[in-house]
Amino acid sequence: MNIGEFWNIFEGAELVENRIILKDDLHKALQFALENYSFNLLKDITAVEKRDKSIDLTYHLYSVENDEDLLITINVWNEAESVIDLFKSAIADENEIYDMFGIKFIGNEYLKRLYMPESWEGFPLRKDYIQSDERLAWDDDNNV
Amino acid sequence: MTITTFKLNLGPQHPSTHGVLRLILELEGEKILSCEPDVGYLHRGMEKMAERMSYIQYLPLVDRIDYLAGFFYSELYCRIVEKALNIELSQRVKFIRVIMLELNRIASHLLWIGAFLMDLGAISPYFYAFREREMILRYFEKLTGQRMMYNYFVFGGIRRDIGYIEDIEEILKILPVKLNDYERIITENPIFISRTKGKGILTKYTALNYSITGVNLRASGISYDVRNTDYLYEGLKYKPVVLYSCDAWARYKARILEIRESVTLIKQVIEYLKSCSPTEQKPISPLNLKLPEGNYYGEIEAPRGMASCYVESVGEDRPYRLKWRTGSYYSVNLLRKLLVGNYLNDAIAIAGSLDIILPEVDK
Repeated sequence: MNIGEFWNIFEGAELVENRIILKDDLHKALQFALENYSFNLLKDITAVEKRDKSIDLTYHLYSVENDEDLLITINVWNEAESVIDLFKSAIADENEIYDMFGIKFIGNEYLKRLYMPESWEGFPLRKDYIQSDERLAWDDDNNV
Repeated sequence: MTITTFKLNLGPQHPSTHGVLRLILELEGEKILSCEPDVGYLHRGMEKMAERMSYIQYLPLVDRIDYLAGFFYSELYCRIVEKALNIELSQRVKFIRVIMLELNRIASHLLWIGAFLMDLGAISPYFYAFREREMILRYFEKLTGQRMMYNYFVFGGIRRDIGYIEDIEEILKILPVKLNDYERIITENPIFISRTKGKGILTKYTALNYSITGVNLRASGISYDVRNTDYLYEGLKYKPVVLYSCDAWARYKARILEIRESVTLIKQVIEYLKSCSPTEQKPISPLNLKLPEGNYYGEIEAPRGMASCYVESVGEDRPYRLKWRTGSYYSVNLLRKLLVGNYLNDAIAIAGSLDIILPEVDK
C-alpha cells in the first residue's frame, strides 16, 4: 500500500518498521484506511504499557480484498477516541482494554468491567498493579 | 392492553451456553429486543501469567486457552519463539504438526456438531459424534499421554516422534463413511432444516464489521483462510470451504465440509511421512531461554476463527507483554446484533451455530 497519502493528511505520522505511528487523529486515520483502501477487518487492538506508563494502542487492520495488513499505533495516556462507529468489533477490544488497562474510550457507551467484578479496584495488566490480597498473588522480586 | 418488556438471564448455568456464558436478554413476549453478553466467569489471567513466567513454564498453560483445540495455541506460541530465535523446522516436523492440528480440528468440529444438535433437541447425533471423536482422542492419548491438554509441541520441534500411523489411517477410513451417515441423519432432516435454514443471517458486511473469522466468515461467502499463507501448509493441496447462504445451516454444512477437507490434508501428509526417514529434529533447550528484544506476531487458523499471538520482549526470560486474539471473543460480541429481532427459541440455535467456547473468550 502506498502510505504516501498518510503523510499529507496526518501531520507528524511516521513509519517505523511495518507500522504507522500517529500523533493524533486516530479515528480519522482509521476511517481513511477503511474508506479509501478497504481495510474492512479490524483484527484486534493491542495495548502495551510503556516504561513511562503511557499506553501504545495498536490497531491491526486487514483488507480481505487485497490481502494486506496495516498496523496503526498511537500513544495515549488515559483516554482515547473510540472507533465503534467504524468497526463494531471494537466494542469487544475497547472493553477489554478498559478492563485491563483502565483507558477510557470516548464515545463507547458499552464500557464496563468485563472479566473483573464490578467492585474490583485497579487494572491488572498495568505494570504497577499490586494486589493487596497476598493469597491471590505471588511476587518473585519480594519473595512474597 | 399495555405491552411491557422484561429482562431474562440466559445462563450462566443453562446447559446450552456450554459452561459459563451469561446473556442478558430484553424480551417483549418471546421476541428479543436487545442482548448483552456478560463474560468473565472463567477468567484466569492468561496474559498476566505470561508476564510472570519463563517461556517454558508458560507452555503447558497455553493448551488451556481452548481445551478443545489445544494444539492450535501450542503451535502458535511455539511459532512465536521459533520466529524470534530463527529456528527452521524440518519438513517432517512441520507435517507432523499439520497432522496433529487437522486431527484436532476434526475432533473440535465433531464435538460442535454433537453439542449443536443437542441444543436443538436431537440427542442421538451427540453420541455418534462423540464416538468418532473418541477415536481421535484415543490416538492423542496413545501418542502424547493426554486426551485434551497435550503439551506435545515444544520450541523447535515436538516432544517425541510420531507413531501409530496405522491408527490414523484407520480413523481416515472410518470417518468419511460416518460423515455420510451424519449427512443422512442431519443435513436432510426436515426438522433440522426448519430450525436452521434462514436463521441467524450473518451478512458479509456484518461479519467483517464484527471481526468474525474462520468457518463463520467462510459460511458468509468470504474466502479468508489463514492456512493459505501458513508456512506449515506449504506444498499441500487445500481448497477453502466457502458457502454463500450466510445462515446457521451454512455454518453447520461448512463444518462438515471442513472435516472432509481436513481428511484429504492428512492423507497427503501421511503419504509424505511414509516416504521419509524417521529422523527427528531435536528441540532446543528451554533452559535460560531469552528472546531478543523486539515484537513478534503470529497467526493461525483455529477451529473457531483466526487466533493470533503478540509477544513483546525486552530481552528477558519472560515476555514483557503477551496478547492473545481468539475467535470466540468476537463471536460473543456478535450476539449483541445477531439475536435482536429473533425469538427466544431461535436464540439457542443461533448462538450455538457460532461455535463459542468460553475458555477462549475469558482467557
